[in-house]
Amino acid sequence: MPTSNPHPNRRTLLNLTAAAVAALTLAACGGSSPDAAATPATAVSQADVDKAMTTPTTLTFWTWVPNIDQEVALFQKKYPAIKVEVVNAGQGLDAYTKLRTALKAGTGAPDVAQIEYQYIPTFSITKSLVDLRPYGADANRSKFVDWTWGQVTGPNGEILAYPQDTGPMGMLYRADLFEKYGIAVPKTWDEFAAAARKLHAADPKAYLTNMSANEAAGWHGLMWQAGSKAYTVAGTTVGLGVNDAASKKVAGYWGGLASEGVVSTDPDFTDNWYQGFNSGKYATWLTAAWGPVFLSGAAKSTAGKWRAAPLPQWDAAKPVAGNWGGSTSAVITGTKNPIAAAKFAEFLNTDPDSTAMFSTVQNFFPAAKALLADPAFTGQKSAFFGGQQVNELFAGISDTVDVGWQWPPFLDQSVKDWTETTGKALADRGDAAAATDQWQARLTAYAKDQGFSVSAG
Amino acid sequence: MIAARRSNLLTLGMTALLVYFLFPLFWLVIASTKTTGDLFATFGLWFGHDFSLVANVRATFTHNHGEYGRWMLNTLVYAAVSALGAASLATFAGYGFARYTFRGRGPLLGLILGTIMVPTTALAIPTYLLFSKVSLVNTPWAVILPSLVSPFGLFLMWVYARDAISDSVLEAARIDGAGELAIFFKVTLRSLIPGFVTVLLFTLVATWNNYFLPLIMLNDPRYYPITVGLSSWSAQAVGGNGGNADLLASVVTGSLLSVLPLIAAFLMLQRYWQSGLSAGAVKE
Amino acid sequence: MRATAMANRAYLFIAPFLACFVLLFLLPLGYAGYLSLFKDQLVGGTVFVGLDNYVHALGDAQLLRGVLRVGLFFLVQVPVMLLVALAVALAVDSGLLRLAGVFRLGVFVPYAVPSVVAALMWGYLYGPDFGPLTQLGERLGFTAPHLLGDGWLLTSLGNVVTWEFAGYNMIILYSALRTVPAERYEAAAVDGAGPWRTAWHLKIPALRPALLLCLVFSVIGSFQLFAEPNLIQRLAPTVINSSYTPNLYAYSLAFTSQQVNYAAAVSFLLGFVILLVSYAALLLANRRPRR
Repeated sequence: MPTSNPHPNRRTLLNLTAAAVAALTLAACGGSSPDAAATPATAVSQADVDKAMTTPTTLTFWTWVPNIDQEVALFQKKYPAIKVEVVNAGQGLDAYTKLRTALKAGTGAPDVAQIEYQYIPTFSITKSLVDLRPYGADANRSKFVDWTWGQVTGPNGEILAYPQDTGPMGMLYRADLFEKYGIAVPKTWDEFAAAARKLHAADPKAYLTNMSANEAAGWHGLMWQAGSKAYTVAGTTVGLGVNDAASKKVAGYWGGLASEGVVSTDPDFTDNWYQGFNSGKYATWLTAAWGPVFLSGAAKSTAGKWRAAPLPQWDAAKPVAGNWGGSTSAVITGTKNPIAAAKFAEFLNTDPDSTAMFSTVQNFFPAAKALLADPAFTGQKSAFFGGQQVNELFAGISDTVDVGWQWPPFLDQSVKDWTETTGKALADRGDAAAATDQWQARLTAYAKDQGFSVSAG
Repeated sequence: MIAARRSNLLTLGMTALLVYFLFPLFWLVIASTKTTGDLFATFGLWFGHDFSLVANVRATFTHNHGEYGRWMLNTLVYAAVSALGAASLATFAGYGFARYTFRGRGPLLGLILGTIMVPTTALAIPTYLLFSKVSLVNTPWAVILPSLVSPFGLFLMWVYARDAISDSVLEAARIDGAGELAIFFKVTLRSLIPGFVTVLLFTLVATWNNYFLPLIMLNDPRYYPITVGLSSWSAQAVGGNGGNADLLASVVTGSLLSVLPLIAAFLMLQRYWQSGLSAGAVKE
Repeated sequence: MRATAMANRAYLFIAPFLACFVLLFLLPLGYAGYLSLFKDQLVGGTVFVGLDNYVHALGDAQLLRGVLRVGLFFLVQVPVMLLVALAVALAVDSGLLRLAGVFRLGVFVPYAVPSVVAALMWGYLYGPDFGPLTQLGERLGFTAPHLLGDGWLLTSLGNVVTWEFAGYNMIILYSALRTVPAERYEAAAVDGAGPWRTAWHLKIPALRPALLLCLVFSVIGSFQLFAEPNLIQRLAPTVINSSYTPNLYAYSLAFTSQQVNYAAAVSFLLGFVILLVSYAALLLANRRPRR
């Protein structure tokens, strides 16, 4: 029973009336964002930091990361004055919806939040993320993989979050099925397509892979790999090119394989999809560096049969990868303790014990350079993958991720529009390449309606 | 003889319908005895290799510091407070509208009854924005307060109070010099009980089932009701970073456990709500 | 008693309800109406736009398709559900059924199942590759349709809603049947009417008001469809798009597209449509026999 809450006494009711009247008479509507936090233009002095870190403070931290209490405990041990309340406010879209409504409401937002890379511009456009430069963030630049630092850097050089984990993309495959059907590990997308046809012909119930028509994040990773410049952002001017040549190449490729019926398009992260891995319906999973551990939990019955390899390439001579997922710790505007919040985010993602713990407890794929070079990490052998050193493979892939990729300041809308145009065409075995034009048109209309100047990408 | 034969035929047909209505619940019971592995790997409509109902129940109640038990308790509290409050308000007001004539009664009643048709989800977002201005968001009150107003409950109680109480009894009490409140509590309340229980139960179900409102009002899992909690578990089970797949068995078992209290409440209070409903169902 | 004294006493009883009604119902409604007159942009902030949002909504093809979809849903699902409810109510009331109480409760039980749980359950049952229905089909030697696919999804949703609410409607109808005075049955029996004729000529006419009540609730329910499609969306993301039902659309506008003001306008229009359809249904149903 939630006893700790105030009863709605007469004062609350009076407040309710008063606030409602105020709301009705004020010119500004409920959407107004809270005042920008007092972000000093210059660096905070060490004396201020010391004072803040020894003053009793409670921070609220929204995260979906399981067992993150353990890393938080390390922080609290070092800074006993600061208490961090960990709240699981949901994952993915749920979490962002909650964060956005709390920001809109002006109360109830956390001090620090878990945010995926792709959502950083979406929250920085509403000035919801605190610039961490005054709190010494710049000094940590060299600790992180270059492309991750690029992802947390704003258009004017602001540092909007600390990278935590990443998801450079690779391919997990069923070695036993490959052997059974005489399929060599495909190095290029052409070889992959040929293998898809071969496998499906040999076993009509099986598919070389499942390209989920609802997985916009994974799809963006493939666009990233293909060199698309879907989004270029400069202030309130947005360049949109979700139908550029690279994007069309990706859509045409997968749309073609789906129309032929040699890859499936089942929604991912559903019961049915899990069962597909257990039953051998899918012979590969094109996924990110967090995928190997995920799969070993989700498809236990196939342990030992899987191996990992880099993604097939468009140009085998110049291997590149995209990224899918991974997340950051960001400080949310409106926090009353920006120093403590910033230092907490910093500690979580730069303290050697804390980052090491992320790779052992949560099995995160690190964004920290030191860890990626650490033999204790890369040398781990995974029984699920037949003793392969999967971490080492993905650490190598991480170096090939293109640094220049940008995300739009309205990612939810782009995801929604992708699902309802390109994703839909993929699922319906229609012309997915042509559908990217609809995606572009819908997104352009939305961006203009929201007041952006839009240029074709 | 004819009647008996027909009754067999009818019983057969109705049994087929009953099978349909109980089929998903049958599946739920079966599924909650399975491990997550068996959920995927065995025939859905019969028991799996292991009988792990007890283990599932334990896992459901212990996952993440026992949050399921807390959600259950939250739901009970939200539902009980909302239902009692809504039923009391509706009973008072229904009686007031039915038993007194006063200026503006017709239009006022018309206005309230007209709002039965306003979609409650349309109200949720503005209510959220209003509540956030008085710091009610992310508190239990955010779920309870909006549930207190039940125009349908008022309608039911208005009809019920109109018919269940005879004017002569009231007049007699008035002549005896009893105050209006005394009359209400001593004389009329007893005959309003079936209506009261009906509104109580239906608000109880509405609050118990409520998903949209708590979904947007509450951020902190400590305050979740069971519906939002189960939905978040279900999302975590499939979306987490791999280690959460076992949670699916808890989602299934938790679903089963969440259904039991309401069924029990309906069975126990059957006598009341059926007679309460018939009043609302006959009149227009 | 004098009129003012009457009024004072009446207010004593209705004031608590009225206060809550104004604060928690009318006020948010008014606020929504107020919000719907503005536009909030990511770049440029909030401006007053008058009725622009409504004009835009009236020409919004996604909204229109959503409304037509739930309209179709209403036209098919509600009659099926009410027929099932009516059949069960009459059967249970007929006295020809063995163990009538078991049937009455069994059919009603799904109403006690939260829609979240109902959607989770049926969503699992519908699973296209390994769902129990598909498994059952395989054992019995037929191929179950792809219940989460484009062609079947609306039917599948209709099934969930029918399953949830047929029992609720049945109980309303059954309760109404219990209030038919016994003398009328006796009179019918004297006339030699069998159970079928009694049902057709006596019971069904007596059920008209109760059926109307069920109908109005069903209008409201259909047009407000949210929890079921919202949860099943995870399983069929390319079929259930963000504007599949008007309520889903309003939710996605407010929380995904950050267009709270437009969402408020859509909600208002939706409320208006529900009102219109409810009254139309009432008028139509009321027209025939009585006057």
